[in-house]
Amino acid sequence: MKNIITALVLGLFSLSCYANTSQSYTIDSVTGVETWKIYSQGVNFSLTQILPEQAQAFYVNRGFTLKQIKPYSSSCVYMAVLRNDNAPGTIHFESNKWSVFVNGQSRLLTSVDNWVQQLTTSTTKKSALIAFRWAQFPPEQEYEPGGDWNQGMLSIGLAPGSQFDIVARWDIDGKPYNVKLRGVRCVR
Amino acid sequence: MSGKQSSRIRTLLLVLTLSLSGVTLAAEIPPLTHKLTALNPPINAPSLRLKNMDDEIVDIKDLKGKVVVVNFWATWCPPCRREMGSLERLHLATKDKNVVILAVNIGEDVDTVFSFMGQVDPSPSFPILFDLEAHSMKLWKVHGLPTTYVINPEGKIVYRAIGGREFDHPDIQKTVIDLGN
Repeated sequence: MKNIITALVLGLFSLSCYANTSQSYTIDSVTGVETWKIYSQGVNFSLTQILPEQAQAFYVNRGFTLKQIKPYSSSCVYMAVLRNDNAPGTIHFESNKWSVFVNGQSRLLTSVDNWVQQLTTSTTKKSALIAFRWAQFPPEQEYEPGGDWNQGMLSIGLAPGSQFDIVARWDIDGKPYNVKLRGVRCVR
Repeated sequence: MSGKQSSRIRTLLLVLTLSLSGVTLAAEIPPLTHKLTALNPPINAPSLRLKNMDDEIVDIKDLKGKVVVVNFWATWCPPCRREMGSLERLHLATKDKNVVILAVNIGEDVDTVFSFMGQVDPSPSFPILFDLEAHSMKLWKVHGLPTTYVINPEGKIVYRAIGGREFDHPDIQKTVIDLGN
């Protein structure tokens, strides 16, 4: 009897831990593009694969040459969405504090400023750099509850086919929160 | 045709479509909401003095006494594209009620914006301003596109929206119209 009660308590505890967190996975039937999405503590976070050819086409259309943009487009790029639906307050984040876990090793994301520096050469068009900077997921931002959000490109900096977990971090009035998306794959 | 060739052709067609439309991805689009965040206390609107499509200077200083909705956007930004039609509907519903809408395009030229306008239904008839160097982003503390501010007749920012919105929602229309009364 004691074992049954213990099992029930543990079961209820596990359920309560996951009650506000759910990860989903979808695959687009036409393009094969995969999306990983999680809702936790009132915040939605998702990553949708961007094919290297898609990223190249987007930035070549904005004025980059294929050669200029290739290091970025082949760096495992996602369309990231973060949205404050009903968190208990204003969320504030800095994406350079988010972590990527590959084979048990943690690493930080390459910053947007770093990418802009890498892409800035004597022949890069200024309009292309402006589009690049503002098409990225914001390096820092604040979202009010009720639907503040952004959608932007996020480079993970991994080789094609890599699999990783990513921890997105934010704070509300200085109190830290985080959510982990597990088993995300880079396009091959 | 092998499976690999077929896949590559499908990808190229997709890329071509995306290049022409300027849209990055259509998958997993979050719904637009209609909440504006009130700024307490309101803050003074920064300066904004930019050229419109007719190469004429528009200065926000000259709009004191009116409610001004300032929207920062670009044609390649998917949520900006989604909300543009609703901004025009807001404009149509409020243009005779002391409300002005200004859409500040970031880093693009007149031809690019003009060709996009033809794709929006209804096509925007409010002023589009051009910030080729994206200088206003820092001044207005914009960290991501789209971002929209509502300025009261005294020149203070009273509401903010980060990310796409349904600007023609009755709640937003009422909020904006009430400010001008």
